[in-house]
Amino acid sequence: MSSFRERAAQDIEARGEDPGVLPLMRQLVVDSHAMLSRAPADAAQRAQDARTHAVDNMARLHAEVREKLAERSIGYHRAASAEDAVAIVELLLGSAKRVAKSKSMVAEEVGLTHALRNARIDVLETDIGEYIVDVDGRGPSHITAPALHLNRARIRELLNRTGASLDTDDPEQLSRYVRDVVGDYFTRCDAAITGANAVIASSGRIAIVENEGNVALGVSHPRLHIVITGIEKVVADEAGALSVLEVLAANATAQPLTAFTHFLGEPLPGQERHVVFVDHGRSAIAADRRYRDALRCIRCGACMNTCPVYRAAGGLSFGSPYMGPIGAVISPLLWRDGRADDLPFASSLCGACTEICPVGIPLHRMLLDLRGDAVEDHRAGNRVERAAWAMWARSLGSGRRGRMAERFARIGIKAAGLAPGFGRLVGKRLPRSGARHSLDMLRASAPQAEPKPTTVPPAIPDTGLPDLFRARAGLLGVTIAEQATLQEGDRRLKATAAIASTGSVVLTGEMANRRELLAARRVVVDLDPATIVEYPHQVEPYLGDGDALILTGASRTADIEKKIVRGIHGSEELVVVMGEGEAERRGS
Amino acid sequence: MATVGLFIPCYMAVARPDDALHARRVLEALGDTVEAIDGLCCGQPAFNSGFREEARRVGRQALRAATDVDTIVVPSGSCTSMIRHYLPGLFERDRRRTADIRSRRFVEFCSYVANHPKRESLELSLPGVVAYHDSCHGRRELGITLTVKDLLGSIGELEVRTLTHEDECCGFGGTFSVKFPEVSREMSACKLADVRQTGARVLVSADLSCLLHLETAAREERLRIETWSMAEVLARALP
Repeated sequence: MSSFRERAAQDIEARGEDPGVLPLMRQLVVDSHAMLSRAPADAAQRAQDARTHAVDNMARLHAEVREKLAERSIGYHRAASAEDAVAIVELLLGSAKRVAKSKSMVAEEVGLTHALRNARIDVLETDIGEYIVDVDGRGPSHITAPALHLNRARIRELLNRTGASLDTDDPEQLSRYVRDVVGDYFTRCDAAITGANAVIASSGRIAIVENEGNVALGVSHPRLHIVITGIEKVVADEAGALSVLEVLAANATAQPLTAFTHFLGEPLPGQERHVVFVDHGRSAIAADRRYRDALRCIRCGACMNTCPVYRAAGGLSFGSPYMGPIGAVISPLLWRDGRADDLPFASSLCGACTEICPVGIPLHRMLLDLRGDAVEDHRAGNRVERAAWAMWARSLGSGRRGRMAERFARIGIKAAGLAPGFGRLVGKRLPRSGARHSLDMLRASAPQAEPKPTTVPPAIPDTGLPDLFRARAGLLGVTIAEQATLQEGDRRLKATAAIASTGSVVLTGEMANRRELLAARRVVVDLDPATIVEYPHQVEPYLGDGDALILTGASRTADIEKKIVRGIHGSEELVVVMGEGEAERRGS
Repeated sequence: MATVGLFIPCYMAVARPDDALHARRVLEALGDTVEAIDGLCCGQPAFNSGFREEARRVGRQALRAATDVDTIVVPSGSCTSMIRHYLPGLFERDRRRTADIRSRRFVEFCSYVANHPKRESLELSLPGVVAYHDSCHGRRELGITLTVKDLLGSIGELEVRTLTHEDECCGFGGTFSVKFPEVSREMSACKLADVRQTGARVLVSADLSCLLHLETAAREERLRIETWSMAEVLARALP
C-alpha cells in the first residue's frame, strides 16, 4: 500500500511544469467568495445551525424521518457497514440488471459501483465527470469535480478508448458525447441510484442538487429509484435544507444554486423508492466530541479548493474518495484499518480550511487531535521517530537551561545519526543566515508586475425584487420576457414562486414533472412577480408538500476544465415570462 | 518603563540569533527593560507531530518562565499561537487553568510594539522596498495581519509590496516540510513566484520560521532574495 507521500511525489513529478489544479482552484475560491457575498450575512451561520442540529439530534431525527418516509411509501433502510450497504442495495435491486447511477460520495465510500459490477450488475456512472473518471479507472480527484485533474486532451483520449470517435478536444463536444451515451442508457435501464444532500425529517422529502439533469432522470425512473446517503444527512426541515443548499452551491462551484434543486415527495405512480442510510463509522464519530462536528460537512469541497496541500499534491494523492482537509479528517475515522492514517499528517496546518468551511468545522484542529491519537495508538511514529522525540523532550524538558543554540546543536548531532530527517530539522536544515543583511537589498528592487485587471461584477439593482430577479437570472443565461410566443416543443409552466438573489424559479406538483421538463425544446415559465422572495431559505412556504423543483438557469456542466456547457439533459433555453398578463398562446 | 521578558524561540536562537538582539533593541527603544529568556521551547514541533506528552513536558518549561513576569514578548507568531492556543490544552483540568492564565502573558512581538504606549515616540525610517509575507499563524490563529501591516506601513521611506496570494501558506508547517518535502517544495515554489512578481528583494514577515523555509527554497532556486524578520526591519528602522 502506497503512502500519501509516494503518491503525491509521483503526481508532482508526472505533472512537470504543469501547474495542475492550482489556477482553477484559486479562481474558484475567488468566485465563491463573490457568490457568497450575494447571500445574506447570516447564511453560513444558518447553514451551520442546521447542520449542527442534524448531527446533535440524529436519533430523534431518524425516528421522525422514518415515519414520514413511510407515510409517503418510501422505504427506510439502515446499513451499519459498507458491506451492509451494498447488500441492501443488491436486495432492493432484485432482478434489475442495468443501473443508472448518479454522483454520490457515500456510494463511492462503500465501493458500490465496483461491488455491483462484481455481482454482474451493469452500472453506468451518469454524471459526466464520474463517467470520465470511471473510464480512467483511478477514481475521482475532487468531491464535486471528479475529473478536475484530467485535461481535455486526456479526456478525449479516454473517451475514444471506449469506442467514441471524437476528433475535437472541445469541452462542449466531449460533454455532449457523454450526455448522449447517458441519455441513451436512461431509456433502457432497470433502476436508478442517486445520492441525497438532505433528507427532511419534518416532511419526509428528499433534497438533491445537481446541474446536468442526470439526477432528474434518475429520480423519475419509472420503476425503481434508490437513494444512498449518510445517516448524518437528516435535517429538521425545509428551511434547514435550503440554508445548507445555498452555501453548498456557492462554495462548491461558485453558483447561486445548482441548476436543479430537487425536493422529492411521493414516488411516481408505479415507481418504488427507497432510502439507504449508511452508518459506516459515523455513529462512532458522533460519539467522540472531538470529531463529531466533522459530520456537519455538506461536501461542498471548499476546504480542498483552498488547501495548498491539495492544490500541490492533487486529489488522487489522498488515496480516498474524500480528499483534502475533510478527507484527511474523516478518512482515518471511517476506515480504521490504517489505510488513511498518514493523511492527518499531510497538512501544513495553515488553517485555510477552517477559515473557509461554511459550517464551521475546525478542520486543522481536528488534524492535530488525529495526529495525537495516531501516535498514542502507535498507528504513526516509528521507533526511530519516537526515540528522537523522547530525546528531544528529555533535553529541552528538563529544568536545567543552557543556551538554546548549544542544546539544540547537541540534539541535532545526536538525532542526525538516529533519524536523518529529524536531525535535518533541528540541525542542518535551518540555514544560518541573516547575520549580515546589507541595506543594499532593500534598494535593489525591480518594478512590480502589473496586476491582472479584475473584472468588476455588474451593479446590483436595488429597485425591488423583480429587478433583482431579472438581473440574477439574466446572468445565468435565462431569458426574461414580458410575453412569449409559444412554439412547438415548448413546455409552458407556471412558477409557484421565484428567488431573486439566485435568479431561480420554483415549480411544484405536476409542474415539477422532470421527464417532461427535460424533453422540452424550450422551457417557458410564467412568473407572478408578487411571489418573488429574496433568499432561498424564504421560499419554504411556496414548496408545497409534494414534489418540488427549483430551477436556477439551464441544465449545465462544468466537469471538463471547469468550462461551462449549457443544455446537457434538458433545454439550454429557459424563458421566464414576467408581467401582468400571461404568455400569449400563439404560433404553430 | 516596564520590565518584559523576551522569549527567544528555539529556531531563532539556532538559526538567526541576531534577530533576538534586534527584538531587544526595539523593546529597549520603547523604554522597556528586557530580560532574555533563552533555552526554552514552546513544544510546537512535537505537538504538531502528534507527540503531545513530549510537547507538554517541553512547553511546561516555557510556561514556568511566566511565573514571575507579567509580559513575555515572543518574536514569532507560531510560538505565540502554540503557547496561547494549544499548550494549556495539554494539561489536566486543575493545571490547565494555571497554564491558561500563564499562557496569556505571552504576547506576539509586533502586537506588543504596535500597542505600546510609547509606540509613537519611535521615529522609524528605512529607505527601500520590501514584500510582506503574512504567516498563517499570524493571520488565522492570532489575527494580527492588519497590526503587522500597519506597523510596517508606519516606517518612513519604506515601500511595502503585497503578494497577490497573500493568504497562501509558504509550505513550511514544521515537520510537514520534512515528512512531505515534495509537496512542501511545490508550495514554496508558488510562494516564491508570488514574491518574485513583486520585484522586491527583501521579504519580511512576523514569522521567522516561514522566512527560513523560504530562504532555503530560494537558495535552491538560485533566487536573489533576502528574508528579514519584523524584529530586524524595525530595529534597522530605528534612528
